[in-house]
Amino acid sequence: MPLGDFTPLLARPARAGRADGTATASRRRRQTGGLSAERLSPFVLIAPAVLVIVLFRLWPLLLGVNFSFTGDGERNGAAVGLDNYAELFADPLFLGALRNVGWLVLLLPVAVAIPGTLATFIYLRVPGHRFYRSVYFFPAVLSPVIVGSIFNLLLSFDGPVNSLLEVVGLGPVDWLGDSDVALFTVLGVHIWATFGMALVVFLSGFATLDPALLDAARSDGATLPQVIRHVIIPGLSRTIQFVFVTTMIGMLTSMFGLIYVMTSGGPGGSTYLPEYYIWIQQGQMNRPAFASAASTVLFLVMLVVGLAQVSFLRRTGKED
Amino acid sequence: MKQRALWSVAVAATLALAGCGSATGNAPSSEAASGKLVVWDWKSSDKTATAYVEKAKADFAKKHPGVAVEFVAQPFDQYYTLLGAAIQAGKGPDVMMFNGGGQIRDRVDALVPLDQYVSPDKPRLAGWDAFTKDGKAFASPVTLQGHPIYFNKDLYKKAGLDPQRPATTWSGFTADCAAIAKATKATCFALGNKEGAGIQFFLSAFGSGILSPQEYDDWIAGRRDWSSAHVKQIFQLWKDVEDRGLNSKGGNSTTMFTDAFGIFQSGKATNIIGLMSDIGHWKDFNEFLGPDNVGVMKSPVVNEGTTPSLPFDGGIGYGVAKWTKDPALAADLVRSLTSTEALTAFYTNAGAVVSDTTVKAAEPAVTALVADLKTGKPALHVALSSKTIELMGRLSQQILDGSVTVDAALKQLGESDRS
Repeated sequence: MPLGDFTPLLARPARAGRADGTATASRRRRQTGGLSAERLSPFVLIAPAVLVIVLFRLWPLLLGVNFSFTGDGERNGAAVGLDNYAELFADPLFLGALRNVGWLVLLLPVAVAIPGTLATFIYLRVPGHRFYRSVYFFPAVLSPVIVGSIFNLLLSFDGPVNSLLEVVGLGPVDWLGDSDVALFTVLGVHIWATFGMALVVFLSGFATLDPALLDAARSDGATLPQVIRHVIIPGLSRTIQFVFVTTMIGMLTSMFGLIYVMTSGGPGGSTYLPEYYIWIQQGQMNRPAFASAASTVLFLVMLVVGLAQVSFLRRTGKED
Repeated sequence: MKQRALWSVAVAATLALAGCGSATGNAPSSEAASGKLVVWDWKSSDKTATAYVEKAKADFAKKHPGVAVEFVAQPFDQYYTLLGAAIQAGKGPDVMMFNGGGQIRDRVDALVPLDQYVSPDKPRLAGWDAFTKDGKAFASPVTLQGHPIYFNKDLYKKAGLDPQRPATTWSGFTADCAAIAKATKATCFALGNKEGAGIQFFLSAFGSGILSPQEYDDWIAGRRDWSSAHVKQIFQLWKDVEDRGLNSKGGNSTTMFTDAFGIFQSGKATNIIGLMSDIGHWKDFNEFLGPDNVGVMKSPVVNEGTTPSLPFDGGIGYGVAKWTKDPALAADLVRSLTSTEALTAFYTNAGAVVSDTTVKAAEPAVTALVADLKTGKPALHVALSSKTIELMGRLSQQILDGSVTVDAALKQLGESDRS
């Protein structure tokens, strides 16, 4: 029984630590003078990092939140209480932007399943897997502006994609000009542009998978779906969780460039995300305080999502 | 456990902070006292504006030899964001360029009224209204911006129509379009509404053919009745034009700047509501279609009893920042930037229709434009706030794809305009 050997090994250093602790304590009583410096040193050592965080992160954040309670334009600088927030939550455009965030969260499984499936195929050595591995990663090195421009050309109403659809006999789709379609088009392009990174993470996860399990499953006569369902997915659970978290962060923070280039938030505001809304209010509407209020709301949304993800990660970490 | 909780908060905070970085940029401080004026604009880096800037600088150097002038060209799509940061900080350029209308009116708090400095220029320059708020002028106009309807004379000829006399009524206009579409497959309009600009151009170009002169003047004066039958007719026409297939396809995903202009320039559309200055204007179209094939018309008469006019306003202008050390000196630079000599250079090189009424025009399309300036009126959309303009852009896209009715859109616009 390996467990029987294991427990005393763990217990020993703990006991030793305790014995050591009493010794230090008695030493402390003897030389208090030198000890205050020793006690202070950790604080001195972390001071630069804390100062940087407080000065350049927390303090501006507080200023921004404070700024969101002031007015714009004629009421510039005056305290307006919660007026900005009341207006924000009465604005259908902002609510639409939040709803679109909801769509992103709902479509997250798709964004994770695509690189997961493709990585599985590469791992199972489909013909040409080396080629695919590099090709899949390629879009990840392109900037969103370039990706957006490429797809603007491809997806324009008289563009090649629609010509192709017409040849097949399907009517043209206004990919970026129909408010029911545009958000999913942009999201699809975002997934295309970023799934390479997740694919690499999946492949490194596969490297830790025990090939003996796969061989065993195969020799037991498992089909491909069965192998995926019962061997690969359980074996990769931590990798899948990690990809979920990073993909979510990517969707919430780095779609601005694509939206800016591909739809400018349109048509009819259907592709607005909070980031884009903030930018419009600050830059185009000249309402920095109102934009601060929107930023504060985005901050809270991110805080909730971030905390949920951290606790999710911790819980799944315990299972192992 | 406590450590873990702290750690998780720290991670979450970092994530969140990464999501909303600070938006303020660095603003250079005003240096007028040390004999230097800083100008912000988005034009001075254009090759076509080089001669204009040189002429203006030379004129200013004659009057104030000791004062250096530095032009800082900002990218246009970032311009008002950067300017907003400068205004927030209370320091920045001494002289800055503005678009007429909402963009300057929203920011007059940061500007010096120029009337006392530029009064000698008032009779010579046109387009002051777009830079005026509460009776005070906050910038001197450099160019005039308007929305003439350009048409392709070549397509008219191919369809057997007389390009010298385009139709003057809406029914005649659409009949011409139908004839041209039959003969050449060109659509009636090139439409780009991805930025929501298409509706602005449409409203202003056809407004004078739909609203009565009284209604038009009331609109400009701020008495806008969004529930009136004629205002509704404009937006209904916007929808009908799309429904009848008169627009180029996919207007909501086509940019006005510059895909829609490209459609017109390649002869795939007969008409386009263009601009007078900057881009999408006669000079651009001349290059592709040839000066003899670019025609200009005013709105056809949609309703009896209307008098179509050319919608135009001051396009871009220079204003003086409140924080400048010596407003009179900065205003003198604005005067140099609007001198006849400088503006002549701007017209010649950039093809802009400049504010100076004494600059002589030469080519056919621009001659027609300049002739219409006398009877022209301010454009309808320029009178709206940037907030209402932005809303109108979004609603116009929704009207086109059918997700909002004309009535619902007008109700929202009326509410936005009143607030």
